[in-house]
Amino acid sequence: MKYFLSLFFITLTLHAGEAQAIIKKLEKNLRGDYMYATMKMIVTSKRGQRTVEIESWSEGNEKSFIKILYPKKDQGITFLKIDTQMWQYIPKIERTIKIPPSMMLQSWMGSDFTNDDMVKESSLEEDYNAKLLSKQGNDATLELIPKPNAAVVWGKIIIDVDLRNAVPRKETYYDDMMQKVRIMTFSKIEQHGTHRVPMVMELKPLDPTKKRNRTKIIFEKINYDTKIDASYFTKQALKRYSR
Amino acid sequence: MLYSLALRNILKSKGRSIITLLLSTFSTILFISYVALMDGSHHQIIKSSVEIYTGYAHIDLKGYRDESGYDNLIEDSAKIEYILKNDTTVKTYSPRFETYALLSGDEKAVGSMIGGIIPSREESLSKLSSSLIKGKYLNDNDKNAIYLGSELAKRLKVDVGSEIAMVGSSIDYSIAADLFTVKGLFKTGLFEFDSQSAFVNKAYLDTVMLSDNIASYFTLYFQDNDKIDKMTADLQASLPSEYEAVNWKQLLKALVQAMLVDSIFGYISISIFFLVIFFVIMIFSYVNIYTRAREIGLLRALGLTSNDIFGMLFVEILLLATMSIIIGTIIGASIAYYYELNPIVISGIAETYKEYGVVSDEIPMKFDLFTITWNALTIFILNLAAILYPISKINKLTAMEAMRYV
Repeated sequence: MKYFLSLFFITLTLHAGEAQAIIKKLEKNLRGDYMYATMKMIVTSKRGQRTVEIESWSEGNEKSFIKILYPKKDQGITFLKIDTQMWQYIPKIERTIKIPPSMMLQSWMGSDFTNDDMVKESSLEEDYNAKLLSKQGNDATLELIPKPNAAVVWGKIIIDVDLRNAVPRKETYYDDMMQKVRIMTFSKIEQHGTHRVPMVMELKPLDPTKKRNRTKIIFEKINYDTKIDASYFTKQALKRYSR
Repeated sequence: MLYSLALRNILKSKGRSIITLLLSTFSTILFISYVALMDGSHHQIIKSSVEIYTGYAHIDLKGYRDESGYDNLIEDSAKIEYILKNDTTVKTYSPRFETYALLSGDEKAVGSMIGGIIPSREESLSKLSSSLIKGKYLNDNDKNAIYLGSELAKRLKVDVGSEIAMVGSSIDYSIAADLFTVKGLFKTGLFEFDSQSAFVNKAYLDTVMLSDNIASYFTLYFQDNDKIDKMTADLQASLPSEYEAVNWKQLLKALVQAMLVDSIFGYISISIFFLVIFFVIMIFSYVNIYTRAREIGLLRALGLTSNDIFGMLFVEILLLATMSIIIGTIIGASIAYYYELNPIVISGIAETYKEYGVVSDEIPMKFDLFTITWNALTIFILNLAAILYPISKINKLTAMEAMRYV
C-alpha cells in the first residue's frame, strides 16, 4: 500500500514537474536576453481596420522601447517600459507623459491589448503553477493557475503547446470568475538564430460587445542576437529616438 | 333625526369635540407636510443631478449605454439635430462628444472624462457655466481652452492659465494629443464629477478627435419635463430605429432607486407614528363613548335600535373628521405650497450630503394635489376606522346594562 501511495505521489510530482519543464522550455525559447523586432499590428473593430507599424527593442522582460512608424499621424510616438512603469512621448506636443495606474487597463493604441499587457512582465514560469492536462505526441495542453501572491489579472490560462518547436499554439485566458475572456493564437513558426518563433499572433476578445474585434500582430524582422544599447532604456531615449 | 342628534351631541360637549378635532387636524397637517418635505427633498436631489450635467433626456445609439466606446457613436449628428429642431416638444438640445483621455500637468497625469460641448447651447442645458468659480467659461470660438473641474485641477496641480497636455485616442484609434490652457474652473458640488471632468469647445475638440459631425449623445430639455415618460415615448417614435431616447429615470437609475428606498423608509417611520395616532384616537373615542353609556342606554330605552346608535355615533365622527380634514388639509397644503416657493434653508447640508448630489442648502417642499389628497384621505379613513371598535363594543350592551354602566 505504502509503495503504491508513494508511487502515486511520485507520478503526481512528475506530472507537475513535467508541466513546469515545458513552460520553462517555452519561455526560454521565446525570450532572449535582447530582442529587436519590427512588426505590423492590424486592429479590426466595428469601426473598420487599422494598421500600425512598430519597431521595438527590448532587454529581457523588464525593459522595452517601442516606436510607432506608421500611420503618419502617429509616427514618432515612443513608449518606454521599465519594470511596471510606462512613459509615452508625443512629438506633436513635445511632451513625455507617464501613464498613471488608472489608465493601465485602457486599450493600447486602439488595439485589444491594454497598457497593462504591454508592461506586464509576469513570467508564466514564476507566476503560475502549471499542470499537464493532456499530452499526445507533439501536442500538450497545460493549465496554469496563478500562484497565491502573483500580481496577475487572470484566473487561469490554458495553453496548447507545440512541444517540438517549444512554442504555444493557443492561449485561452480566463478571468477570476473563470469565464473565458480572450483567446490568443500563434502561427507561422520560423527559426531565428537559436529561437523558434511564431511570427503571427492573433488576439480575440470574447466579450459579446466586441464580436468583430481582433488584433493581429505580424512580426516582420526579429533579431535575438545583437546586444541593444542601454541608452534605449532611459527617459531621454523617448525624445531622442522619436525621430 | 340622526344628523340633528349627532350635531347636538357635538355642540353640547364642546371640550370633547375640540380635542377630537385638534387631534385629527394636527395629524393631517403633520402627514401632509412630512410627505411634502420628503418628496420635496428627493425632487431637489434628482433635479440638481439632472440639471447639473445629465439633462432630462438623451438620444444615443442603441448599445451606447452598455459600451460607451467609439463603437457606438452617433455618426451623423446633423440628422438628429434636424429631427430635434423640428420637434416642438423639445425646448433645448445639444450634442456632446465624450471621451476618456489622459490629462497631464507639469507634474502629474490623470485619466479624465473630456467632454466636447457647444458652450453657448450648454448654458440652457446644464449648470456648467453657472458653476464657474475661477477664470472664465468657454465660448463657441475657443480653441485650445479647457474648462476644468475644481477637484481635477487640484489633482493635476494646475490653475487658471496653466498649460496641460491631453493624450487620448481619436475615433480612428490613432493617438490624439494636444496642449490646452486652463480657461476656467468649475465646481458643481458633485464631487466625482468635479474631480473627473474637463470640457472643451466641441468644434475644436472635433478637429483633434476627428469627430466632426459625430456625437456620443444629444442631451435635451422638453417643453414639459413633468410629463417626461410620455415626452420620451413620443420622441422615440420620431427617431430612426437604431437610436433610443432615454430620460433621467433611466440615466440616473441608481439615484432614482436610492430615493425610492429612502421614501419607503420614510413611509415606514411615518406609519409607526400613525399606528400611535390610530390607537390614541381609538382609546380616546372608547373612553368618550363609555362616559356616554348612560345616555346611550337611555336612547336605546326610548326605542332607538343599535343600528341607530351606530349611525348617530358614526355621523358624529364623520362630521368631526370631515371638518378636521378640511382644516388640516388647507393648513397642510398651504404649508407645502409656501415652502415650495420659499424653501427651508439649513446651512451646511449641502456640504454634508454632497456625495448624494445635494448641491444646495435649500430644502423645498413639494406641493402636489394628488399626494395631498391621498394623504388627507388616509387620515380620514384612519379616523373612521378608529371609531368602529368602540361603537361595536357599546352596542353589545343592552339598554339596561348601558344605563347602569358607571
